[in-house]
Amino acid sequence: MAKVGIPHALAYYLYYPFWKTFFEKLGHEVVVSTPTTRAILDRGVEETVNDACIPIKIYHGHVASLIDQVDYIFCPRLISVRRHGDFGTETFCPKFLGLPDLIRLTFTGAPPIIDTPIDINQLESKPKSKKDKKRKPAEIMEAACVETGDRLGNSITQSRAAYQKAAQVHQRFLTLLEQGKLPPEAIDILFPPENPISYELENPEFNLAVVGYPYAIYDHYINVGLLNILHKENIKVYTQDTLSDKILNQEASELPKSMFWYFSNRAVYGALYYMKKGYIDGIVHITAFACGPDSMVDRLLEIEARRRGKPYLPISIDEHTGESGVRTRVEAFVDMLRYRRDKK
Amino acid sequence: MKGFLGVDVGSVSTNIVVVDADGKLLVDRYLRTSGRPIEVVQQGIYDIGKELAGDVEILAAGTTGSARFLTSMIVGADVVKNEITAHAVAASNIVPGVRTIIEIGGQDSKIIILRDGVVTDFAMNTVCAAGTGSFLDQQASRLLIPIEEFGNYALKAKNPVRIAGRCAVFAESDMVHKQQLGYNTEDIIAGLCEALVRNYMNNVGKGKEILDPIIFQGGVAANAGLVQAFNHYLNTEVTVPPYFGVMGAIGAALLAKDIYAKKGSTNFKGFNLRDIKYVTTSFECKGCSNACEVVQFYQNGELLARWGDRCGKWELQID
Ligand code: SF4
Ligand code: SF4
Repeated sequence: MAKVGIPHALAYYLYYPFWKTFFEKLGHEVVVSTPTTRAILDRGVEETVNDACIPIKIYHGHVASLIDQVDYIFCPRLISVRRHGDFGTETFCPKFLGLPDLIRLTFTGAPPIIDTPIDINQLESKPKSKKDKKRKPAEIMEAACVETGDRLGNSITQSRAAYQKAAQVHQRFLTLLEQGKLPPEAIDILFPPENPISYELENPEFNLAVVGYPYAIYDHYINVGLLNILHKENIKVYTQDTLSDKILNQEASELPKSMFWYFSNRAVYGALYYMKKGYIDGIVHITAFACGPDSMVDRLLEIEARRRGKPYLPISIDEHTGESGVRTRVEAFVDMLRYRRDKK
Repeated sequence: MKGFLGVDVGSVSTNIVVVDADGKLLVDRYLRTSGRPIEVVQQGIYDIGKELAGDVEILAAGTTGSARFLTSMIVGADVVKNEITAHAVAASNIVPGVRTIIEIGGQDSKIIILRDGVVTDFAMNTVCAAGTGSFLDQQASRLLIPIEEFGNYALKAKNPVRIAGRCAVFAESDMVHKQQLGYNTEDIIAGLCEALVRNYMNNVGKGKEILDPIIFQGGVAANAGLVQAFNHYLNTEVTVPPYFGVMGAIGAALLAKDIYAKKGSTNFKGFNLRDIKYVTTSFECKGCSNACEVVQFYQNGELLARWGDRCGKWELQID
């Protein structure tokens, strides 16, 4: 039995239930880092190459906080989870692709890193048949599980069984999201802590769509508590993650071309979907400072929001984001919605 | 006479105004915050009280600016509003039908787009110095020309020099380079004004639909060179309102007036604020590795509020 560390950052927000279940089913112990704190951010900024975006720096901080507590760090190489976009070439952002290498080179004394590749286009070294060239996402995940289990000394049979269980939990997680729970809420429902997070509201004054990368929307430290600020203002939040893949993908046809990056496409499709919905009063886009893809995503959403007449608020986050700046923008945005409504 | 008090406290300046029942400005004060917002507000309000010499009864008070919460507790405010809304309210009052507000202060800048009297879009810059007044301040001190003179120099320019001004640091080295090439000071200063306008338009103004009438406000609007540069860039005439430097405070006062109409009473603690003893203390919470700096606010020894915690554990406000 091993202790496996999962950093509370990046893909955590969408894949934690899956991997936690998988490792535990195999009899290992999962140690997850705490939500981002100032100490984690500071450590990450210190350790990471300077031109990395803030979410990558935060990830480094989480890894640093796990190093002394675990036998392995789980940092899969997320390459692609589906064939999508033009020529089916969608991948995760390049920084995800190189993440295990960045971590390995930054933390030389760290415990071994499990960097199983997740790649829909991955071919086995010797494809046994044509069929191998077109494997389904579920098969890719199962193969990744087998490879990961192997690193930890588990047999193929054990890993396959654990995969089955993990896939079930993941399905439950997706169902909760589609019921409108945000990932942190859904995670707390699946694995109840002492004080579960809840954003329930009786009678929300406004409904806002908050789009962006999950690790920007749900990391309270880096976005200085945006979801809590909105909750206190009596505003219900919808995100791209509360929409099913099917709904999201329908939006792809709205654009002449897709983005190359998985999380960016999700944010864009989610935003386009909500822009058409009458019950959504406005769109908030959380963008990460120094994020390459976001410089395109933000501009695209701004243009589309204007074209469709939806109020649009971009909030850029970086390591110096002050609470007062975010609060001022959110308050002004809500005032704007109120004046608009009262004018009608 | 009846009046309404508005206070705008930012990191650089503290502005205090009183408007009458018609929204007309009675007095205004433009003060340096100098890192001591509590004393500056106390003294400023005391001085205004003296100037009004008992002629004006304050029916309600409003606060805005980055220190609006702190300030509201000092003065006893009836309304606490963000700077965007406050500036929009003030500008709409002075130029009804205004559709674009350009606001540039010492440390930050904003753009506010209105249609039919309602804010429809806005942006704020609080990080990049190249689009704010501090950019000009820095270059003025380099050129050894008082910033107040900047406008006059710029207006005399014949051929403004193109200064690469994407970033305050590059602008500075480019300016030095142009000086060494022998361009005259007037043309360089006019070039700096144009560089600031370009920065502003590329930063906060990016992608915004800028339509007439346009109001240019904030402390920097005093600079005739900048007004000219904006007119030139936008190919129209921007309006600089008479009290361009205290628009946020005017907005807060006008909002107080609205609240008073609904509520009919005030929390205002009076002009003699100076006699109240306000103290803030802070401590570092050891609850988790956020190590929040928690601020406690006392009035005459009594704890009134606490803030600065990330998790809500210490949050407190006693009305
Ligand atoms: S998409 Fe942007 S924020 Fe996310 S990892 Fe890539 S560069 Fe960073
Ligand atoms: S106030 Fe809350 S978030 Fe801040 S250090 Fe204390 S326990 Fe942590």
